[in-house]
Amino acid sequence: MLLFSMFYVALRILLYDKVRSVITLLGVVFAVGLIFAQIGIFLGLMETSSVIIDHTPGDIWITSKNNKNFDFSQPFPEYLSGQVRSEEGILWVEKLIVSWALIKQKEGGTEQVEIVGFNPDTGIGGPWDMKAGAAGVLKNGNFAIVDESAMKRLGNIQVGDYRDILFRRLQIVGISQGVKSFTTAPIIFTSYRLAQGLIAWLGPDNTVFVVAKIAPGYEIDRVIESLKKRLKGVDVYTKEEFSMKTRRYWAIETGVGFSFLLTIIISFLIGMLIVGQTIYNSTMEHIKEFGTLKALGASDSEIYRIIFSQALINALAGYLASLVVTMLSVKIYQATDMVMVVNWKVNILVLALTLVMCLSASFVSIRKIKSVDPAILFRG
Amino acid sequence: MGKPIITNSLTKVYSEGRVEVTAVSGVDIELNEGEVVGLFGPSGSGKTTLLCMLGCILSPTSGSLKLYGNEITGLDEKALPAIRKKYISFIFQGFNLFPALTASENIMLVLKLKGETGMAAEQRARELLSVVGLAERTNFLPRDLSGGQKQRVAIARALAADSPLILADEPTGNLDHENGRNVMEILIKLAVEQQRCVVVATHDNRIENAFDRVLVMEDGKIVTETRRPA
Repeated sequence: MLLFSMFYVALRILLYDKVRSVITLLGVVFAVGLIFAQIGIFLGLMETSSVIIDHTPGDIWITSKNNKNFDFSQPFPEYLSGQVRSEEGILWVEKLIVSWALIKQKEGGTEQVEIVGFNPDTGIGGPWDMKAGAAGVLKNGNFAIVDESAMKRLGNIQVGDYRDILFRRLQIVGISQGVKSFTTAPIIFTSYRLAQGLIAWLGPDNTVFVVAKIAPGYEIDRVIESLKKRLKGVDVYTKEEFSMKTRRYWAIETGVGFSFLLTIIISFLIGMLIVGQTIYNSTMEHIKEFGTLKALGASDSEIYRIIFSQALINALAGYLASLVVTMLSVKIYQATDMVMVVNWKVNILVLALTLVMCLSASFVSIRKIKSVDPAILFRG
Repeated sequence: MGKPIITNSLTKVYSEGRVEVTAVSGVDIELNEGEVVGLFGPSGSGKTTLLCMLGCILSPTSGSLKLYGNEITGLDEKALPAIRKKYISFIFQGFNLFPALTASENIMLVLKLKGETGMAAEQRARELLSVVGLAERTNFLPRDLSGGQKQRVAIARALAADSPLILADEPTGNLDHENGRNVMEILIKLAVEQQRCVVVATHDNRIENAFDRVLVMEDGKIVTETRRPA
């Protein structure tokens, strides 16, 4: 038995009481699975919240002053885009309209939708993955592209169908994929001019966003600094800054992030309690054996290794089982059109949390071992 | 190395609130290698306390204790585990074997603590089980062993520690007459053949004749000492 070690002893102790070990493992899988789900769903929601920003080419976003996020933005004068275009270091500039509207349902009633008006000639700000039709067809008419995810709320829509949006009849000329809103409201793409005409309250000469690209060889920070000095009544961000700002709004200002964090903390504590109780019970059952080892000259640290190994085994086994369950869950979430992010960074984070959870849980047992007096072995 | 144990006025006083209880009082003994010593006395006579002090588990209140020439009294408590590791093994009434480990694995655990690992440790564990007559029970779990067999595994574990001094607390307490006799025979054999000093604290009068020397304690003092004729 070349691998006989304190880890092996810990494994044997756990395998000896299979029922208790299985129950503990299920507890860890539950706790870790919940942590995986909460982190994955939260990250998925964050990705969704800034999906259009993240997929729009360009380096700079200009928004109305004190704008909080992508979905709830105020208009500002279009002519500012000309000032941006004239800035040294800018390669190109595009305008975007994002606003709320109402679509009439086939069966009657209306549904709230989010209109994104973009330039169909360049496609900037428009859909990046088309299931049917093409983005360029939007110009020269009352046309719209609906995202596939919208069909849950709007019913089955085909290319060629007509729908009334803000009392204007639009023909559906394309179906996009991968465009979900944090608010779950369906996203409808139209040409910039059509959006401007549809959404009367915006005003005829206003826009909601200006997106710009830095020319090669220019430093983005300097260009932004210069734009901030020149442009009045607007805010200037890098693409990443505006993406984070949008995510932060949903995560922090709405309390959504806190809710997820609370669930993660509760799951963590549940996991700790389950593992801690199991290891403590096991320690108490073996207290005389551990005391005997102490009597025979074992140091506390040598015995701690058995305790920590038990915690480590629970952590690794629970994590791996939970990872399998989570990967299967991702498929289920995808089928419901929700996004759950599970990537290597999430895996590492959850592994670290699991290890901390299980190892921390063993400290109650460590304290007990420390205080064990071998004298208790003498006639019990 | 000096004599296994030399004590001089060894005393242990417990303070329980305002009350002081003298568990062991002024014990003077000298034990030799190859000797099997029985420590008899009723409950509360101080046998366990004396055994704990000899085993460097409890520190004496006063007096002196020398273990193989090393003065133990006055040593920092943190130094005692190392002393135990080097000189002392224990055998308990309740065996205290890990139920999840086989007979040989319980022994290998102690060997691991001593730095022996791998095939060498496995071989040594088998040898020790042979010494106690359990060569064919190497892979048995404690639940599959009789009381006598478990105690023999505990003896083999004590031997794995390779300590010259073996302290046994009621090693036959849970055993029938025959098994108790077998256990004592093994302990005597260890003392004679390997020149270990074996001290057994016991109530069991059935094994009184097994000892080279019998010390009887009463109220914390050794009241009689009998040596078996050579």
